[in-house]
Amino acid sequence: MRDNGGGVLALSDIDFEVHDNEFVTIIGPSGCGKTTLLRIIAGLIPYNRGEVAIDGRAITGPGPERAVVFQNFALMPWADVLANVTFGLEVRGTPLDECRDKAKDLIKIVGLEGFEKRLPKELSGGMQQRVGLARALAVNPRILLMDEPFGALDEQTRRLLQEQLLRLWEEQRKTVVFVTHSMDEAVMLGDRVMLMTPRPGRVKEMIDVPLQRPRSPQVEKSGAFVEIKEYLWENLRAMQVGES
Amino acid sequence: MKQETVAKPAPKSSAARTVVMPRGLRSYACRNLPEVLAPLAGAVLWEVLGWSLDLQWLPPFSKVLEALVQFVGSGVILANLRSSLQALIIGFCLSLILGLFLGSLMGRYRYVEKAFDIYVHALFVCPSIVFAPIFFAIFGLSDAARIAIIVVYAMFVIVINTATAIRTVDPSLVEMARSFGCGEAQIFSRILLPASLPLVFAGIRLGMGRAVKGMINGEMLIAFVGLGALAEKYGAQFDAAKVFAIAMVVLIIGLVSNALVQMLDNRLTRWAD
Repeated sequence: MRDNGGGVLALSDIDFEVHDNEFVTIIGPSGCGKTTLLRIIAGLIPYNRGEVAIDGRAITGPGPERAVVFQNFALMPWADVLANVTFGLEVRGTPLDECRDKAKDLIKIVGLEGFEKRLPKELSGGMQQRVGLARALAVNPRILLMDEPFGALDEQTRRLLQEQLLRLWEEQRKTVVFVTHSMDEAVMLGDRVMLMTPRPGRVKEMIDVPLQRPRSPQVEKSGAFVEIKEYLWENLRAMQVGES
Repeated sequence: MKQETVAKPAPKSSAARTVVMPRGLRSYACRNLPEVLAPLAGAVLWEVLGWSLDLQWLPPFSKVLEALVQFVGSGVILANLRSSLQALIIGFCLSLILGLFLGSLMGRYRYVEKAFDIYVHALFVCPSIVFAPIFFAIFGLSDAARIAIIVVYAMFVIVINTATAIRTVDPSLVEMARSFGCGEAQIFSRILLPASLPLVFAGIRLGMGRAVKGMINGEMLIAFVGLGALAEKYGAQFDAAKVFAIAMVVLIIGLVSNALVQMLDNRLTRWAD
């Protein structure tokens, strides 16, 4: 799929489809190219073989129907929370007062009301990523691309944000592609889990997660949850052992 | 001599002033004791050495101040100061525009950097004063020659800092901007420019200092006007007090211009503290 200009073959035999309003999580051993895949879907890096398309139209670059949430938050350190959230709207030419209104709504939704004037460095990691999420949602994308968004957070914060994301997703039902290296997270959030192999990354399997929505943290105790998680670990473990 | 009667009480009166300082000034002095004491101690030491050693090249500090007062009173300084500052401002602004422009391109585009890097570093390392005769040949005894000298002094450090600043902007911010559909112009104005500001300002500060140097050196060597020409003239007469007095004026220009840049810097890059 991506030959990286005569360099390393990062991905191959990637063939999958994400449906409207579906939440797909991608998991694989580190270095399998899951982030590369997400960036290709985002239109941030070119691919030189195969096809990546939305509604049958090939992706040639970033587009207004997609928004990305980044692993390292990618907040502008000089801009306050409000300015960070309005960024996407502003650069797309939305009138300023409309930007502010929408941004304020989303700041409220992610629970950061009262922090509008704070700089990113004055916020905790979890709050910073909520800004990142609000910024992505502000442009009202059909497809939300999330690149290990909670990977840099401590476990407690991560779980709180997972729960918040689940609630948000229930309300907005966006199409989400979510890259993670956490098995709990992959099963907890996804309708389907895409399991990838080590470099060159391939789709090993698409696994349905037959857990009911809306999901609460309780699903972690259910048999299906544990079973899928163990199945993932068996596979990932085998891959890692094979590698090292 | 009249001069001596004026000169001798000077250190005493400055000592007396510290005692009767207004309250605000006093609390400032307490908080910044080393900054306040260092120049005072320097002045006292200078004064003592000046009187005790009685060297021709080291007049007491009070005599320098006296020469300075005379300069200011007679209007000599003001006329030359205006001429010097004019060249400084034009030269520095040109350096700023050229430096930021070239630096931005070099920081953003690898091939521009590769093409210009050797020239920028060569000109940065090269003692800028060697260009003085060349500019003299090109521009003659005009302001343009002085301004050109200031530009070669000040520009390259701005170029180098700006290029480094732009190149080291967090690439994930650029990627974030691209993901929202930003084109090159928006990436520049909304990400690269604000993100690089702290480092760019460091370069501007260095450039400002070098511009002041370039101003004086240019005036001393080619264009016989301005403060540099005055320094040159009194230097030739071995009038150390007057040379030092001019050096004090240059020092003040340097400090004030640095403070101005610093003020702007603090205002614009508070987020980076």
